[in-house]
This record gives sequence, C-alpha cells and structure tokens, in this order.
Amino acid sequence: MDHSIMIICEQSEGRILPVTYELLACAARIGGFYNSSITAVLPGNTPDTDAISGADLLVINSPGLAEYTAEGWEKAALLAAGELKPNIIIIAHTSTGYDYAPRVAALLDGSCITSVSGIELSDGSIRYRRSGFHGKLDMLYKEGKQPLVITVLPGAFPAYDQQAAPGMVRYMNADIQPVHTSNVHFSISDQSNTELEHAEVVIAAGKGIGKAENLELIREMAACFNRSAIAGSRVACDNGWLEYNAQVGLTGKKVSPQLYVACGISGSMQHIAGMKDSKTVVSINRDPDAAIFKNSDICIIEDLEKFIPAFIREAEKHREGRV
Amino acid sequence: MRILVCIKQVPDQESRITVDPEKAWAGYAENASYWINRYDEHAVEAALQIREKLPGTMIDIVSIGPARVKAAIRRCMEMGADQGFHLRYEHEDYLSPSIKSRLIAEFCRDRDYDLILTGVMSEDMMSGQTGLMTAARLGIPSAASVMKLEVDLEKQCLYVERELDAGHRCFMELKLPALAAVQSGINRPRYPSLSNVMRAKSTEIAEISCDDSLLDAKYETVEKVLEAGSDRAGLTLQGSTAEKAAALWQLLHERSLI
Repeated sequence: MDHSIMIICEQSEGRILPVTYELLACAARIGGFYNSSITAVLPGNTPDTDAISGADLLVINSPGLAEYTAEGWEKAALLAAGELKPNIIIIAHTSTGYDYAPRVAALLDGSCITSVSGIELSDGSIRYRRSGFHGKLDMLYKEGKQPLVITVLPGAFPAYDQQAAPGMVRYMNADIQPVHTSNVHFSISDQSNTELEHAEVVIAAGKGIGKAENLELIREMAACFNRSAIAGSRVACDNGWLEYNAQVGLTGKKVSPQLYVACGISGSMQHIAGMKDSKTVVSINRDPDAAIFKNSDICIIEDLEKFIPAFIREAEKHREGRV
Repeated sequence: MRILVCIKQVPDQESRITVDPEKAWAGYAENASYWINRYDEHAVEAALQIREKLPGTMIDIVSIGPARVKAAIRRCMEMGADQGFHLRYEHEDYLSPSIKSRLIAEFCRDRDYDLILTGVMSEDMMSGQTGLMTAARLGIPSAASVMKLEVDLEKQCLYVERELDAGHRCFMELKLPALAAVQSGINRPRYPSLSNVMRAKSTEIAEISCDDSLLDAKYETVEKVLEAGSDRAGLTLQGSTAEKAAALWQLLHERSLI
C-alpha cells in the first residue's frame, strides 16, 4: 500500500466524537478505491486511548494540545503528515475543522476542498461533491496537487460501523505550544429552546420575510398548528428578528419535526443541515429557483406576505366549520 | 495601524444561474447584478469601527477579478476605506483559493499590515479558505467565524470571539499581525455617506497584474457544475393564491398535520 489517508479525529477533552466515524466511512470509501492505508490522528493531551475499528490510531500528545487552537492543531497535523506522508487528509467540517484545515493545506502546499457532501467514483477516478451558490448548484471537484485536504460535512456519510478489528494505537509525545494564541477560554451559553426542540411543527423565517414586522405573520401561521414553534435562518437571527437560540442550521439547532415550513429561506447547505430530517417540508418562496425547493415535499412559489394570510384565512374557515 | 480587508465581488443571490456544460462552469445571466460578498461587507464595517477607536488607522481594500470588480472596491471606499487595490484576473472560471491566497500573500509582502480582515466565506463558492490560507502563507495566526473583535495596540494583540457549533463561543487573544474571517452577525454594515461617496469618486484604484507563474499551479479544479440534486419529491402547488392556500391545508390535513 503506498496510498495513505490520514483522518484527524474530532474530539472533546480526549474523547473521540461520533462525527469521527463519519470521517472514517468517507476514508473507507476513498481507501477502497486507492487501496489505501488509513490512519486516524488524535491531537490532545491524553495518556491513554482505546483503539478504534477500521484504522490505526496515532495519538499526538502535548500539554499544549489540552484545548483546541488553530495553531496547535495545525502543528499536530503537520507533525502527523510528516510521519504518515498522506495523499489525502480528511477533517470534519465543524467549527474547529474549518478553522484550521485550509491552513494545513496551504502549509503543505496541497489542494483543499471544504464542506464535501459526497464522493463519486466514475471512469476510474474520484470526484468530490460539494454545494455552492446558496445551494442552487453542486460542483464536482477533481483533485490537484497533493496532499489533498478535505473537510467533510457532518451527516454526509453514515458512520462507519463495519466490524473490523481494532487497529494499532501509537503515541507520539510532542512539544507543541501555541505562541501566537493565548488566553483561550470557552463559554457554554444557554442556548436551550425547549419549545423549538419539542415542537412537532416548525415555522421558520428567512431573509425573504424582509422585515421584523412580518414575524407576526410567522407567529400567526404557527398558531394554526398544535405543538408548534417558530425558528429562523442565520440571516433572520443576524438581523435581530429572532434570538440565536431559534437559529436552525449547521451552527445552530438541528430539528426534525413532523412538519417544517420554510418561509422566505433560500436553502443553502448550511440551513439544510439543520432541518433535513424533518418528516414533511413545505417551502414558500417567491424565487422559483430557490434551492430550498429541492429539499421540499410541497413547494409554493408565492410572496409570503400574500400567501400566509391566505393560508391563515383557510385554516380559520376550517376551524369555524365554514367549509 | 494598517488594516487590509480582502473582499470578493459576487452575483446577487437572486440572479439566475445557467450551467454551461461546455465550460464546466456556472454562468450568470447577462443582466446579473454584482455586489460585495455580504460577509466581506461586515469585514469592511469591522475595519471602520476599529478606525473610529484608533484614529490614524489606514484601511486598504484588495480584490481579485475582472474589470467589474472595481465597482465593489469603489463601494468599500464609499463606506470609508482609504485605498483600493485591484488584482486583475480576467477569466470568469474557477480560481483555486490556494492560488488566490498566494496572490494576496504576495501582495501583502512589504506592506506591513497589522490586521487582515475578510468574510468567513463567499456567497457563491462558500469555501471559506482564501483568508485562512493567506494567513498561513504569511505565517500569522487566524480565526474563522469571528463574532467580535477588538484591537489592543499596547499589548499588540487582537481579542476575538469565535462562533462554535450550537451557539457556543470561544474567546482568545491572537498576536498581531493576525487575520480574522468574520461572521455576518458581527455588526451592521453602514451605508456610504455623501462625503465619502464624493471622496471615493476622485480616488484612484491601483491596478496590479497577477503573477502568471502563480496562476499556473495545479491545485484542485471544478470539473463539473450541476443542478443540485433533489432529495424530496417536490410537489409545486398551482393556481391562485387562495387555491394554493386551500390545497396546502388539504394536503396537511390528509397527513394529519393540521
């Protein structure tokens, strides 16, 4: 085997997080094609780690890696790359992954493809799929200079669950100290939103509602349903229309209600990542090309300022038994 | 203090996109309107707010692209930036962030910027790479998805708050010079003032041609652009607004959702 794939584990205080097994599934897919060796790298400060199935594990230990810094992770990745000489490096597209992955690619003078959602094998070659243009288009990338660093969208690959024998565990003690980064600390803010987390029906507002006043329409529509809650896209929260604890998406909440109604939401992959497991999706948007329609069961090409009042009237008619 | 803001010009989100299978690239309708990438506009605003606190700060703007890009640079100067630099790249095709970051890093050498700001990603490619790669090539620290930043000149550091998953935050100090890729929630970009619009009119935007040897590097390429796949069997409702409203109620009722 002279083709080598290196994945970098997503971890929290030395504990390997589940998304790592999605990276492993992606690596297994690519590795099956190139017949690659697969090594998982765990940066941290953990003296003792269990082996994982499907890959060898290289633990890079240093007191300076006790918590995440782009600088520390970059140094750990470069150290591991020097050791493993990977052709491909796979990193999770999370708030840590996208913070340092492009730096690693630049420092190794390799190529980089971020937020990969799929791998396509055809004509004896591999293509990497990712979404762009507000989710309207998908792009197929061909690798260039090696190593190729990819970040993989959480949820894009089902977690690796093959009953492979545990791989070997190797420890490397390093002296990695961030020199440009200091005073790192974290806040675990209370972002709970019980109503939204337990709602069976979610009515979500996007940029297309245009102004804060139109949130009243969203609330009135939500009132047509039992166990409903309102939510918003990133833009709706950035504009101050809704609190961030109501944001659905990659960096916000992941919801999976019986019914999700997207009002004036364009449907970028960042938003879709937060609601794609909803049972039924209805979208209201005046742009017939909006990407959200590709992810909807029922599509309504309408101005929501006109459509929502019409829907509320319809619901009232039924409630009052006028139909 | 010297600040550089890296911006990109992108087509308006609602412009129609056409896929040209010959060119393996997405084209925009001829009447497409172009705008500053929304995230980069927040980066410009962040720079202006720093200058308000630290008078004497100089703000430069740089952007890569064909002639149309000048309008976006001009707009930043109307918002209040001091100088604009246009790195001419004539083609409307995929240009790898690896190459862009090499061009910008090359541009930065000998210009001694204390701080480089950019948006967390572009609205069209959404890669989020160019800024961070530029920082890596310059050997300076960076932070992505920044929701708050403050400069401490005495300590020569940049205090940043990064957005993490599920609403959590990370706080840290980066030694200057540093790069921050800002998230859209960081501020509200201002509208140009009349005096700045007048001043921007008479300010020259410097043109710089790109180093051809950098453009030839063989990084990843986009081979094909296609319509996003459909994950659900989308049923588009037809008729008048009232008819669609009635049809939606009926469909939801059949599924016991209302």
